[in-house]
Amino acid sequence: MSELKSGLFFFGLSLFILWEALRVGLGNFYAPGSGFLPFGAGAVLAGLSLVLIRKGWGVRDTLKSHSRRVILALASLFAYSLVLEPLGFVVATFFLVGILFHLGKPRPWWMLLGMTALVTFLSYLVFGVLLHVYFPRSFLGI
Amino acid sequence: METLQSLAYGFSVFLQPTNLLYCFFGVLMGTLVGVLPGLGPAAAISLLLPTIFHAPAVSSMIMLSGICYGAMYGGSTTSILLNIPGEVASVVTCIDGYQMALKGRAGPALGIAAFGSFFAGTFGVIGLMVLAPTLANFALRFGPPEYFSLALMSMTLVTYVGKGPLVRGLMMVCLGLVMSTVGMDPISSRTRFTFGIPALLDGFGIVYVTMGLFGLSEVLSNLSQSLEKVTFTTTDTRVRNLLPNRQDWKDSALPIARGTLIGFFLGLLPGMGAALTTFMSYAIEKRFSKHPEKFGTGAIEGVAGPESANNAASSGTFIPLLSLGIPANPSTSILLGALLILGLQPGPMLISSRPDLFWGLVASMYVGNVMLVVLNLPLIGLWVQVLKIPYSILYVLIVIFCEIGAYSVNSSVTDVLLMNIFGLVGYMMKRYKFEAAPLMLALVLGPMLEKSLRRSLMLSHGSAAIFFTRPISVVFLLIAAFFLFSPLFTREKIGKKAIEMQED
Repeated sequence: MSELKSGLFFFGLSLFILWEALRVGLGNFYAPGSGFLPFGAGAVLAGLSLVLIRKGWGVRDTLKSHSRRVILALASLFAYSLVLEPLGFVVATFFLVGILFHLGKPRPWWMLLGMTALVTFLSYLVFGVLLHVYFPRSFLGI
Repeated sequence: METLQSLAYGFSVFLQPTNLLYCFFGVLMGTLVGVLPGLGPAAAISLLLPTIFHAPAVSSMIMLSGICYGAMYGGSTTSILLNIPGEVASVVTCIDGYQMALKGRAGPALGIAAFGSFFAGTFGVIGLMVLAPTLANFALRFGPPEYFSLALMSMTLVTYVGKGPLVRGLMMVCLGLVMSTVGMDPISSRTRFTFGIPALLDGFGIVYVTMGLFGLSEVLSNLSQSLEKVTFTTTDTRVRNLLPNRQDWKDSALPIARGTLIGFFLGLLPGMGAALTTFMSYAIEKRFSKHPEKFGTGAIEGVAGPESANNAASSGTFIPLLSLGIPANPSTSILLGALLILGLQPGPMLISSRPDLFWGLVASMYVGNVMLVVLNLPLIGLWVQVLKIPYSILYVLIVIFCEIGAYSVNSSVTDVLLMNIFGLVGYMMKRYKFEAAPLMLALVLGPMLEKSLRRSLMLSHGSAAIFFTRPISVVFLLIAAFFLFSPLFTREKIGKKAIEMQED
């Protein structure tokens, strides 16, 4: 089933690649165009996906469901990339580090806050101050 | 004589305080990632990739290379003392190394691992010094058809020796090739697969792709299991008498020599990597041994051979990278990416156009190997303490480092988002048993492969015969075809046992 799932995914993706390759133009053997290589790679990918689909047909899925911790970590990472600009580096990183520490192991709130503040401060000090990385600032100026 | 003069020049470049410092930092980081399971050299190099924007090219390459060969040293310490391989290349060392430690012979095991590694590493550097310029001169005869065939052969080999079925590896190569075409077509200037997103006009950035696929995905995979499993408790790690006795030296001399040769020559081949050479070395030592029954119960040959092999292989992989611009494993793929980021053109002209970089790097490897022996033997206790850092803290630091690293390259939040997307992609790939290495290799070699394919076809007026009528190209294509189609006839990969052991 995992082979079936991944086979179907890559087959869909290969159709999309073939469509885009045709759109930008294949050219010909005398003068290959921009879509020449993507078309070839997409066609091979489609063929291999079919092999995978055939192998996985009728086989039961043995994969466990996604860990809650991974889903929450990913959600917080995506949220971080969205709020980094409006909230600024210090505030956004403080929240991200706090969530990640909590996901790793539940700790007393005072310890969580202390560790979060320390990591945020050190990362700002090392990268922002010492290495001069220009981080986004919030309305608070940090 | 010319080589010695060039080496002297290399030392004059390297022996500047900045380069020494970068080398030290590189081997230190290498040892650290070698010690820490769940963080490989590819991930560590990708984490440090953003720093090269703030450093000179030679210093950057010295540091990143130091991680590659430094990781091989660090891995042996925890394998021997704690039965925890920090690196896949150190898995074999656990078998006899840990047994030696249980018998109170951790000192000689660590000693022989370090001396074997030093010998093999130094041999590898001498090989690099002699072979790379020769190979680069030979590669000057290469035209577009040869480069196309060479890239194709490299991708096939990496796929062949990779974990899992060939089909999945080939799918990743195809995906990597398509990803390499994203952005502006260098020949026609048409945009491909950009969908109006300005950040994709220059194609996918190597920094955030590698950080996502190797760094972040590794953390996410570890998060999906109980973090206690990746937290370690140390046992008695007090080590006495690091010097092997006379019998140990006698037993280890030939395994070190054989391991060095196996590692070095197999390391030259794309895809072989250090891990596979250690399994081959172990298998050969067991076969050559007069007492094979002792293997697995603490035979010093089982430590000496594989440890020499992985270090020699680590140096060997630099030869195709620096002379042909062909990476042999994920770590050197990222190094190739680093060369491109630094504005250098990897290939046969690199050595003659930037002798400071090549010879400076060679010189740094000599000194780096000495630094590693000094770092690894007296500081064993310190490295074992590093394992006491709980993974629930370590992973947060790795994630933050990835996020800041991705942002710092272009000060772009979009890069952070893209890195997170690639982290998710890498995690899903691990979950569905697709390897990132063939994808990464295809992504890095894709532009070269496309350019040489299109140029070859233009040169031959559309005839594919150009690839089959030039001898060097034919040889590369035959090798590629052999590895691609041999599983159809033999029903299994050649060296399947070694590959399976690597997977376990």
